[in-house]
Amino acid sequence: MISGDAAALPGHVLRASLMKMYTATIKKEALETGSRVSYYTRQKLLFILLMTLVSVIPLAGISYFSFSYYKNSWIDKTSAELASLADSRTEIIEQFLASQNNQLQTLVDLNSPEYLGQQANLEKIFNSINRSGVITDLGLIDQSGVHRAYVGPFAQQLADKNYAQADWFLEVIRNGDFTSDIFTGYRGIPHFVIAIADPARDSVLRATVNSDMFNSLLAEAEVGPGGDAYILNRAGELQTPSRLGSPEMPGGDLAAGSPALYHTDDFIYAATSLRNGEWNLVLKEDINSSLAEFYSARNKAIVLIGLAVVLIITVATLLSSSLIDRIKEADQQRRQLNNRMQDVEKMALIGRLASSVSHEINNPLQIIESQAGWIGELLEDEKEGRVGDIGEYQDAVTKIRAHVRRARDITHRLLGFSKTGAEAPTEARINNLVRETVSFLKDDAEDNRIAIVSDLQKDMPLLVTYPSQLQQVFLNIMKNAIDAIGQDGTINIRTRTTSDDGANIEFADTGPGLGEGVQDRIFDSFFTTKQGRNTGLGLSISYNIIQRLGGDIEAKNREQGGSVFTITLPSGIGKNYLE
Amino acid sequence: MDAFSVLVIDDEEDFVSTLLKRLGKKGLDCEGVFSGHGAIEKFREREFDVVLLDMMLADMSGNEVLRELKKLRPGAQVVILSGHASASAGREGLGCGAFDYLIKPAEFETLYEKLKNAFDTRIELV
Repeated sequence: MISGDAAALPGHVLRASLMKMYTATIKKEALETGSRVSYYTRQKLLFILLMTLVSVIPLAGISYFSFSYYKNSWIDKTSAELASLADSRTEIIEQFLASQNNQLQTLVDLNSPEYLGQQANLEKIFNSINRSGVITDLGLIDQSGVHRAYVGPFAQQLADKNYAQADWFLEVIRNGDFTSDIFTGYRGIPHFVIAIADPARDSVLRATVNSDMFNSLLAEAEVGPGGDAYILNRAGELQTPSRLGSPEMPGGDLAAGSPALYHTDDFIYAATSLRNGEWNLVLKEDINSSLAEFYSARNKAIVLIGLAVVLIITVATLLSSSLIDRIKEADQQRRQLNNRMQDVEKMALIGRLASSVSHEINNPLQIIESQAGWIGELLEDEKEGRVGDIGEYQDAVTKIRAHVRRARDITHRLLGFSKTGAEAPTEARINNLVRETVSFLKDDAEDNRIAIVSDLQKDMPLLVTYPSQLQQVFLNIMKNAIDAIGQDGTINIRTRTTSDDGANIEFADTGPGLGEGVQDRIFDSFFTTKQGRNTGLGLSISYNIIQRLGGDIEAKNREQGGSVFTITLPSGIGKNYLE
Repeated sequence: MDAFSVLVIDDEEDFVSTLLKRLGKKGLDCEGVFSGHGAIEKFREREFDVVLLDMMLADMSGNEVLRELKKLRPGAQVVILSGHASASAGREGLGCGAFDYLIKPAEFETLYEKLKNAFDTRIELV
């Protein structure tokens, strides 16, 4: 027969509930694994890292690109300026060279070597063409390489000079004209030589040209601090002074453009070729010194960005700490709630299971008791001697009824009722209950040489509670303690008043204590360390009872070894009892 | 007056039949039914001084039966006997006007005393 609220628990529902309980237990344990702390630390670090990256990467990116954009556009602009500067200087120099060359060429074309060979004629011409003072001297050299006429400051030094074997002389005879590199010569003044041969190649007109004009021209080139402007010949020798004294031919392909542009990390070069590549004009700009102001601004910006990054990391750390702490707290609360829910679920299931089992057993027990009682009554009415061994029958009936009582005690205890009927809450003296419980277990303890030492506070307040249920709890805990000790040990019982007129009862034993993992699960249903000897229900039922009585029970290990169970009870039963 | 009438309501027939024999032997006028509806029908037919009611019947819950019986005859003394050892069901029964509450298995002597108490209390009231 299955009907009514508690009994209506068909087998498959029960199995499902048990299964649920089982999986719920696994989940709870999985939730409480030791990797929790490092999990939160990992989350925190990840959060800080992400926040920092998200803020720093764009900041660094924008800074980098704006710096490099500014630098590159400055380089482009400067390169273009340098190129146009180089172009204009080249044009002036080429024009100057061409005009000097043309002037001499005109003289040679218009005048015969004989005319030019006359000292007076040459002096006249010199004075005429040298109003600007650019030409230092002028001389006519005949085929044999000897001066026929000379106008200039070095007449004496040059009087006996024979140029017949000089490279420049051979070249001018061969090509018709010649322009030398710039040299300082005897005079300490930079100058170069232009020589033109007459068409018959039997005389050469030679002029020394002052090249100071080149120097001032290049000095005027507006290159910035650390920049330079100079002319090099094919051999890479300076034709003009170099401001920095470190003239070099720029790399890159000079033939590629006019002017050729080239830059290294430190310098921008613009180079043009002069005199068909005999000379090269080089303009050089120092990137670093020109950009010094920009660099100092950039460094300030980098410091600011660095400070911003520190600030971001600090804020990210603080923020993530507080966030993760909150998540952790919420997780903990959720976990506690979860555990509590599971406990409640388990207890409810146990209650229903026990209730259902007890109902199913109590009914047949009632019938057995009834039938046995009926037999007893009938036997009483039998006439003496009609039933042989009537005493044996009566004995058997008594035993049947005694064992029905025993079975009844078990089913009732399963539910936390040690006596029949639903008792009403009554005033109870905790110390008396403890003494009574001790007396129940005295023999058992003595057999195992276990001493029970009571330290009961006098004047314990009266508690309004269910004494028999409480006694059931005391009994369970003490039996547990005796089992834990095995043999030779002590159980210390202590009662104390709590601040709110409740009671605090401690049961300490000298057993092995609670093993790892036991403390958390000791009140779980079916949890037992005594394999095969115990159902694992005793402490679970105790927990259930204490909860219903509005109290609290906890199990701990003692520092000096063994375990201690502490029960706290309110002065009156809590509303928890009303299911 | 020791003899009083008892109606036993329980779906365990073996229990009811034996109990009727034993109560009869005590000189009580007793009858038994095995369902809630049977009880209500029987109650309409005749009066009983005391009712012994099982809380778990196949067709109705004990409390429903209790309410119906109290409607028919408010003065009836009802003793609840339940195999389900739950205090709450018992309290509910008491709230509905039951005299007292026993949990199975109850010994015959206890049961008889309880029924007699119920009857005695009824006399005092009248």
